[in-house]
Amino acid sequence: MSLNISLYTISAVLILDNEGERLYANYYNHSGSQENGGESHFQTLAQQTKFESSIFSKINKAHQDIILYDNHLITYKQTNDIILVIVAKINENESLIYSTVATLFESLNILLDNTIDKSTIISKYDLVSLAIDETIDDGIIIEIEPAIIVSRVTNAPKFDTNVHVDLDKGIFDALSFASKKIGERLQQGF
Amino acid sequence: MSTSSYKKQEYAGTGSSNALPDKMAVFQDCIQQFNATPVKTKRCRQLLARLLRLIYTGETFPAQESTTLFFSISKLFQHKDSSLRQLVYLTIKELSSLSDDILMVTSSIMKDIQGGDVIYKPNAIRTLSKVLDPTTVFAAERLFKNAIVDKNPIISSAALISSYNLLPNAKDVVKRFTNETLETIQSYKQFPPTQFQLHEYYGSSTSNLPPTSYMYQYHALGLLYHLRNHDKMALMKLITTLSEGSALKNSLSIIQLIRYINKILNDDESLVVHLYPILAGFLKHRSDMVELEACKTLINLQHLIKDDQFMAIITTLQKLLGVPRTATRFAAIRLINKVSIKHPEKIMVVNIELEGLINDSNRSISTLAITTLLKTMGAGTVDSGAGGENVDRLITRMTSLMDEITEDFKIVIIEAIENLALKFPSKHKKLVAFLTDLLRDDGSLQLKSSIVDALFDLIKFLPDASAKQLILMNLCEFIEDCEFTELSVRILHLLGDEGPNTTNPSYYIRHIYNRLVLENSIVRSSAVISLAKFAAVCGGDVAKNIKILLSRCLNDVDDEVRDRTALSLKFINNNQKKLIVSSSKYDLAALESKLTHYLNDQANFSTKFDINEIPLLSSEELKSLEYNRKINKLDSSTTDVTENAESVAGTPAAEDKSGADDTANELLKQQEYAQELSLIPEFAEYGKLSKSTITPFYLTEKENEFVVTVVKHFFIEAQKLVLQYNITNTLPRSVLQDISVIAQPDNELYEEDFIIPLAELKPDSTGTVYVSFSTPSIEDEELLAAFGNTVAYTNKDIIDDEGNVDERDDGWSDEYQIDDLEVSAGDFINPLYNSNFSAAYDQLPNPETSVVTVGKADSLEVAISKLRASLNLMPLDGSDYVPSDSNSHVLKLFGKDVWGGKVGVLVRLALTGGKIVAKIEARAETEGFSSIVANGAY
Repeated sequence: MSLNISLYTISAVLILDNEGERLYANYYNHSGSQENGGESHFQTLAQQTKFESSIFSKINKAHQDIILYDNHLITYKQTNDIILVIVAKINENESLIYSTVATLFESLNILLDNTIDKSTIISKYDLVSLAIDETIDDGIIIEIEPAIIVSRVTNAPKFDTNVHVDLDKGIFDALSFASKKIGERLQQGF
Repeated sequence: MSTSSYKKQEYAGTGSSNALPDKMAVFQDCIQQFNATPVKTKRCRQLLARLLRLIYTGETFPAQESTTLFFSISKLFQHKDSSLRQLVYLTIKELSSLSDDILMVTSSIMKDIQGGDVIYKPNAIRTLSKVLDPTTVFAAERLFKNAIVDKNPIISSAALISSYNLLPNAKDVVKRFTNETLETIQSYKQFPPTQFQLHEYYGSSTSNLPPTSYMYQYHALGLLYHLRNHDKMALMKLITTLSEGSALKNSLSIIQLIRYINKILNDDESLVVHLYPILAGFLKHRSDMVELEACKTLINLQHLIKDDQFMAIITTLQKLLGVPRTATRFAAIRLINKVSIKHPEKIMVVNIELEGLINDSNRSISTLAITTLLKTMGAGTVDSGAGGENVDRLITRMTSLMDEITEDFKIVIIEAIENLALKFPSKHKKLVAFLTDLLRDDGSLQLKSSIVDALFDLIKFLPDASAKQLILMNLCEFIEDCEFTELSVRILHLLGDEGPNTTNPSYYIRHIYNRLVLENSIVRSSAVISLAKFAAVCGGDVAKNIKILLSRCLNDVDDEVRDRTALSLKFINNNQKKLIVSSSKYDLAALESKLTHYLNDQANFSTKFDINEIPLLSSEELKSLEYNRKINKLDSSTTDVTENAESVAGTPAAEDKSGADDTANELLKQQEYAQELSLIPEFAEYGKLSKSTITPFYLTEKENEFVVTVVKHFFIEAQKLVLQYNITNTLPRSVLQDISVIAQPDNELYEEDFIIPLAELKPDSTGTVYVSFSTPSIEDEELLAAFGNTVAYTNKDIIDDEGNVDERDDGWSDEYQIDDLEVSAGDFINPLYNSNFSAAYDQLPNPETSVVTVGKADSLEVAISKLRASLNLMPLDGSDYVPSDSNSHVLKLFGKDVWGGKVGVLVRLALTGGKIVAKIEARAETEGFSSIVANGAY
């Protein structure tokens, strides 16, 4: 077993729905790191979806938390109609990877007000993708403390900040301002 | 109603349905909204989220469009809203791989890093590494340094990660951050408490929240290693400083530290004295992931540590087996399983925990628990024989479990059981019964095939004749109602091979005949052949009855069945036993290579292909090949047994094949040597090559100026020994000329005939020197010898870049002494498999006994592998396995010498006072050889 001494730990983060369709899929290709030998069989979309459907058939409704599949370590959390999956290399520290998936799950749970399901994820996709980005960047684990991850994710603005510069009014203002100035100059100058 | 409010409704509509938004619609909206003034933050964030969703589900935009997108997104930089800006950065990061125009946002990002809001500053820093290239990275140097030492842990982490990502492109720039990185590891950074209030979930009660998770230590350590890894001393210093006290507070960083220790130890094992205490310290840690990592590392290094130190690992693992978290239990049992492959006796202490895990809710865990238990049971009972109840109990539990688990796991368990039965034949009865019970249950073809495979192997390799009979009878019953034609055919074939040699062939004939009546034509035709084998082997009444049975098949509706029947009857009537039952087979690997060779050259077609060139293997030799292959495969496959079980695609690991083909390759190699030697005219008259040592033996260090390996070729009929010295010149600036090897035997009966020297050896090339000797024959008293070897050569320096040497330079002659070479007893032996060692051994004549001390061996395991290597015999009855806690062992070895006689060796080993004493009893068919074996072992 070759040792992973790089920080690149996670191979992919996936959120699949109850039919195995992807809601979120991010594969981290570490072509830059030598430890990986550049081997990645997730290059094409077809390979990725094939992988997803085969792990889905393995993990759906089987609450195992962790399995080994096709030389990958797969940890996951299933709830309602979605599965949150993290894929890592086969020789990774199982507990570490599971902690990451658990952390991410808890963060999402807080951010989505205890309703992690397909429609919530889609309607609050900004929060979901930010939370994942604050947990894992390019396969590097950034944070394992849910409270910090949650705090890092900004809420969507409640309303459109209406710094409404009313165009029409602006022009009239400008015109009247200009006419006033011109009037003044005319009086002064001539 | 205005158009804008109309559109709003439309978005609400698509938002609520879960369908993926249309790509072009999102694209158009993005362009429109991002360029609008004023920017509507909420709308834009929604749009960005929609865009991200497209990206994360695998949609891509063509280059032209992603550039346009990019430009419009960059417009959003004018807006100050941090929640929008954070998502903008994420989008830019994800789009960066798609567009070539990312450079244009560099200055905007840098501006944000310098003065931007603390919320999106880390996002900006992480995005920066995506947009920088080696030419622009210098501009960001100052920014990075400041960010790394920032008081905010998130900003610091972001800068470290960003630098880490830049390593492949700009290592020299990142190197300048070394001091800042070091400072960061040992500093204390606190997460700004105000930021917790960002989310109402935490409200104002932020005091319970952790002020920091120390993740920056992990990132800093990861970066630092890559800046320092060329410098072992610096790395050692780093490790010792950081392992003291609680310098590292973050579990991930400790894991990283443990991995660096492992890496260093892999390179330099002598450091284990300093580093073991550090690792052992981590065996007790509040975080289970650290404990796991420490166990993992120590198990990898188990050859370096003592037994009592090893127990500390097991104790930690034992504790981890009981934790509620599935992932941790899984990891712990995975490690225990790994240990059990080599040292099942070391983990017998956790048997109780393992039994508890058989019914674990995670199927991987329960399967691993079972396979591990199967191994430890075997280890515990191999000598005592008292552990029978344990196996009983385990099998009962497994039987109840079998109904609940999936077929993949069943197959894993079947393999484990077969493995156990092969290694410990005394346990076969229970295990065979288990397998045959399983065979009767419902199952797919794949499952049944794996059971049948296992039973086939057991028939071949179990020494006990009654076991064989038991399995055969069970198989007979199975084909009575077997729905898989494929399996029926295989079983019928096996019955034909094995049945005639049993005590009650008529039993099998009855079952086979039933097939003739009831089955489809494919099964019928193989039943015909099977019956013919019984007739040929048993003869007498049996043959007569079979002839009657077969004659009925002459009227079969299927032509294949009729053909086969007619042919078989003809052979039986003419007593052509050989045509029905073959006692030997061609070596298929050799046949294949010869045939390819033959077909590749048109010129060969003038002469007929000579099948006699292919070595014929007797069924015994074939069995030893298969046995080896099997054992190798089992050993290598147990390592990743669970991995394979999980994979539906079933990508059988490539290394399995390489291990299994080793033995076949040996035969091929032998062929190659024979071919090479026959091309040299001097050796033409030596006749048939009897045996060559397969692995070249190194006579020098592998990193010497020249590396010499030797292969011994024996021509027994001609009484010749040819030593093939392969010499590699590793000197870059020298050419060696007139190379010869002076081999000085210490046995006068060896006479040197001639040397075939090597004219010239260029740098980095390999050449061969042959030395031929006349050897004494087996009747002579002294067969073994040692050769002192000296390489003699003329050295010339290379004077130009083309590798030429100065013509006028005479060079200088030199001699170089290399290691001695021994001709040992093992050189005259080939390993051979025999399923019943005791019977075969008792029949052998010429017993000879000697007592030796096995040198340089401190454990029985090492001694056994040494004896095996020096005698080149096959260990039988699983006797090459030693439980590490025992002080004595009996090793059973079997083989065939080059004169064609069988050799059996019984070695009694005892460990006394740190020395290993072996009493060797050798028996050999060839007269005089047993004493050579007995005295030649060391």
